[in-house]
Amino acid sequence: MYGGGNTFEGIKTDSIAQEDPTKLAEFEARIERGEKIEPTDWMPQLYRKQLIRMIEQHAHSEIIGALPEGTWITRAPGFKRKMALMAKVQDEVGHAQLLYSAAETLGKPREQMIDDLITGKSKYSNIFNYPTFTWADCCFISWLVDAGAIVNQLANAKGSYGPYCRALDRICAEESFHLKYGHHCVIYLASGTQKQRQMFQEALNRWWPPMMHFFGPSDKISVHTEVLMKWKVKMGTNDDMRNQFLDMYVPKIWELGFSIPDPNLKKNEETGRWNYTEPDWEEFKRVINGDGPCNKERLEVRRIAEERGKWVREALKTPKTKYVMPLA
Amino acid sequence: MNSLDPRVVRLPKVGEEGKIFPKAPLDQFGTFEVFVQPKEGKPFQHEGIVHAPNLELAYVLAKETFTRRFVCVSIYVVDTRDVFVSPMTDGNLSAYEVLDEAKDGVGSKNFEIYHLVKRGKQHVHAGSVTAASHAGAMSKAKFELAQGKVVYNIWAIETSSIRFTMPEDREFWLTLPEKKFRDAADYKGGDKLTKFLEKNQTMKN
Amino acid sequence: MENLPLKELLYKMADDQLILGHRNSEWTGFGPLLEEDIAFSSMAQDKVGHSLALYTLLHQLGENDPDTVAFTRNAPQFHNCVFVELPNQEYDFSLIRHFLYDSAEALRFEMLTASSYEPLAQVAKKIRAELRYHTLHAKTWINQLGSATEESVSRLQKSLDYAFPYALGIFEQSPYESDLIAQRIFAGESVLKEQWLAKVEEMLAKTSLHMPDWKVIQPITGGRIGKHSEHLQPLLDEMSEVFRIDPTAEW
Repeated sequence: MYGGGNTFEGIKTDSIAQEDPTKLAEFEARIERGEKIEPTDWMPQLYRKQLIRMIEQHAHSEIIGALPEGTWITRAPGFKRKMALMAKVQDEVGHAQLLYSAAETLGKPREQMIDDLITGKSKYSNIFNYPTFTWADCCFISWLVDAGAIVNQLANAKGSYGPYCRALDRICAEESFHLKYGHHCVIYLASGTQKQRQMFQEALNRWWPPMMHFFGPSDKISVHTEVLMKWKVKMGTNDDMRNQFLDMYVPKIWELGFSIPDPNLKKNEETGRWNYTEPDWEEFKRVINGDGPCNKERLEVRRIAEERGKWVREALKTPKTKYVMPLA
Repeated sequence: MNSLDPRVVRLPKVGEEGKIFPKAPLDQFGTFEVFVQPKEGKPFQHEGIVHAPNLELAYVLAKETFTRRFVCVSIYVVDTRDVFVSPMTDGNLSAYEVLDEAKDGVGSKNFEIYHLVKRGKQHVHAGSVTAASHAGAMSKAKFELAQGKVVYNIWAIETSSIRFTMPEDREFWLTLPEKKFRDAADYKGGDKLTKFLEKNQTMKN
Repeated sequence: MENLPLKELLYKMADDQLILGHRNSEWTGFGPLLEEDIAFSSMAQDKVGHSLALYTLLHQLGENDPDTVAFTRNAPQFHNCVFVELPNQEYDFSLIRHFLYDSAEALRFEMLTASSYEPLAQVAKKIRAELRYHTLHAKTWINQLGSATEESVSRLQKSLDYAFPYALGIFEQSPYESDLIAQRIFAGESVLKEQWLAKVEEMLAKTSLHMPDWKVIQPITGGRIGKHSEHLQPLLDEMSEVFRIDPTAEW
């Protein structure tokens, strides 16, 4: 699961000027025709760099994303929920595995990406820095954070880089279970006891602001990414994605009788766009830069997992097996 | 560690916060390519990779990484370095046209040949050939398997380097279709939702 | 008519699978390698699935529904062996437990495919198919780590020595042992234990690990009659924390 709001670097377009113009024209024509770029094809340095950055952030978001829901893995109520949540958290780890592999085809080894995650050098989706206080927070993530991720991933699956698209096709197929499961959980809370309803309403109140942050800063203030749009690295603007999410899910939340903590949330029927209170982008920046409620814990858990697994990996390393870039 | 996750509370103290001993980029497990056969009679197709210290463990790890969902009857894995790769072509140019004619005479090794027939898709098993080398196998495959088709990329893998699924281990996937808890279809909330909405309607009236 | 021997057998197997599946699921997201994290989680899911299948058989015999049985009983009412309730510790112990326990389970369910109680024989055939992967997984890891570096061998040996008395507790005799054998429902714990010892010895012989001298080890038992370590009740409290907010609610 992953939001938009990828932190692309401020793009220095002069690096494009140094590329071979014939090769660049061929590359752009291929993307224009709707063909995929494969690992052995020529590609501009900037394309490679930004793709690694984006896919890596996505992979980190999956592995870190396993933690807030994992908080409830030992406490899921009843067999149906217990088995589903185990499978769902496992899928997040599986998605990280698939995405790291896709990024590896561009030349960055997985272990290096994991190191960069732990040292804080590379980022992951901001939303996973928030805590899951109750079972209902876990249900919120399963349903709505995954829903947001699907909006994003379906768009990205139409992008230009073959290995990333193939990984996303697989991921989206698996996410359909996540989304249904999440909605199922929330329907049960909504139609359950007073206490269950209240649990979800409280979770919704907590998670709405980070959910609005999920798609990234407003287009008005985010870095310009025209060339990435042209190269089909970025497939939609942050505001478009957010609007699409609101359009699909706000009615479903209201249908269940829950209220969304934003008095200005309303669809403008003429433009088809949703109006809402501008999210607090200062908080977004603060949390992304490390000052959220759970940033420290999330990275510590990953670090400890790596450290505890070290003896296993060290024991079996042999000069006979060499790391090489995956093929596709 | 203080946490809402009881598992995290139980984690031992290890090392120093924020400090990780960096791994040398190439001093790590190898990569192994994973191929999956979705149904009896269907060809194997490439699904992705696993990191593993050796072929046997790669097989064990590939099974759940790639076949815990969706139908499957068999898998196999091979060291990435044992896959011989042709150049990539496009348009109407087949990768077979840009290969050098291999003069490796008659050989008796078996090779599995994979074709990429549409850019952006997976490599799919096209068939097996007998030759003396990978290059020879591709030359043979040009006549035996390609038959004038445009193929954008060819992989040749020596059969003996593959870790296959043993016939008796096909039981692995026997219960896969019954694991409904991983299936979206098992989470139909429609009835419950309708009842809930009807009840709300009645209360309002 | 109440079939106490059969029910007792089903309860102890179901409780084992649930508790070990639960324990192993604690590794999800914390594993030593992404691929292994996934594999270990799948096997934990299988185990919980096996417990559900067995509780369902009990439900058909008139016992409470699986959720009530799994999420509302307290430790003295559980029949699992103490081995499965022990905390995970480091991965060496979790792997050794997986190896020792699943080797026994694979043999147990192989035996049960011939059970005279047909519904159990049917379930056993499915469980056997899944355990085939579990044992391949366990065998491969133990084989490799058990013959790799000084560190990995000594870690596994230490865990093996620690685990063995508990592992022998898997085979704690039921008060109905002779009934089960006479009714041909299950060939009995002693037969299973003999097969298991031979199997484990054979597999360890391929590694640098040595088989503990089981003849002089006192098995740690009691789990089958509800006498557990201090670890089970906290596990159950945690597992049922949400369920018990309102056991009559649907979650």
